[in-house]
Amino acid sequence: MSQKVIKYIGRTTDFRGSTLWELVSTLPNWGEGRMVIRNMFQRYPEPCYMRILKVQAEDAQANEIRKVRVTVEKTWRGVTQPKPVEIFSTSYKADYELVPVEEESKFLNNSKKVAPVVLPKHIEFPPLLREYIREETGEANPMMKVHFKKTHNKQARVAQPGEKPSKEVSMDLGQPAKVASKLYEGLV
Amino acid sequence: MLRAGCQLLGQASVAKTGSNNFALEFVRWRRKPRWLPVAKSKLFRVPERKKQTEEERTELMRLHNQYKTQLRSVRQYLREEVIRYEETSTADHIVLTPEQEEAEFQRCLDENAAWNAAIAKEREIRLAKERDEKVVYVQERLEAKKLRDEERLERANARVLHEIEQSKTFITRENLDAAIETALANPVDHNFAIDMGGNLYYGRNATQFPQETTNEPPQQALSN
Repeated sequence: MSQKVIKYIGRTTDFRGSTLWELVSTLPNWGEGRMVIRNMFQRYPEPCYMRILKVQAEDAQANEIRKVRVTVEKTWRGVTQPKPVEIFSTSYKADYELVPVEEESKFLNNSKKVAPVVLPKHIEFPPLLREYIREETGEANPMMKVHFKKTHNKQARVAQPGEKPSKEVSMDLGQPAKVASKLYEGLV
Repeated sequence: MLRAGCQLLGQASVAKTGSNNFALEFVRWRRKPRWLPVAKSKLFRVPERKKQTEEERTELMRLHNQYKTQLRSVRQYLREEVIRYEETSTADHIVLTPEQEEAEFQRCLDENAAWNAAIAKEREIRLAKERDEKVVYVQERLEAKKLRDEERLERANARVLHEIEQSKTFITRENLDAAIETALANPVDHNFAIDMGGNLYYGRNATQFPQETTNEPPQQALSN
């Protein structure tokens, strides 16, 4: 008898790994203190990993992949978040992978950081709104503040007074990246 | 549900292919309705996943970020402007000094008190009138009850007297034999017919009436 060959039929997926419950349920002490990674985030050169702090089992629901409530300390693109994060609604995704203890140093020693992005403080108005404001205030070139909301995993920041922004933000299409300049051949 | 869908499908196909007398042609059910299952021929079809090239992905991401920053900045500006306008404008309210506010409040209080006094006066008059009316009404009802009771007593008295009067002809144990004798001596036959004119027609012979009366024309019924 020849060996059985499993042929998969169906849509392919970008996920690789197993669900969080599959990992956690087989580990001693529910894997507390162990390191897990999301394979989807391994596209970044900066280290992305999570360390399990607490595990709470949840009842299995019929016809659903089993979820689990796990509190983790999350490091994303080289930045460790100050508060522990709870994973529940995404725990069913078959994209988690357990890091063996001897390989943890690979992530811990990776000290790459995202290049800081400094946004300008002001941006011009859209054309019609600019005309209205010119009429109302008489200002020749009115500007508004750039929207920015500070979060823990945001890598950009707004320029301080007198600082030169590293990124231009304008009310037009902007300059295409060098990689994508091919797309605009003969158009610009 | 499914069957209804199939029927609709059938109708639609008839309307589409058959000759119709109208200029209109409805093409509402052109595709498979959503609630029908996947066609057998499409059951194992796996849709292809389109891969974006690196440059396309980068450029779309850049445009998306650019657009979101622009839009959020405009929204933020407009939101702040609305707040600024609401704080500074006097369009929907009149700004008053504390003294003016106090005076206005006092004026309102006085007006309210005056209204209350006027209404209290009206209410006093109305309540007094209502009280008088109530007294009169109760008095009337009491007198009517007195009258009613008296009448009732009179009626009862009259009835008792009537019954006493009637009791004189009652059959008692003493005159029972005499009453039976009288009844046997005078049998009464109630079997008779009566016509529209009130005439009596006796049909039996064995009555207390004499024989000759049956040959005579029917006598006039007595009206009592």
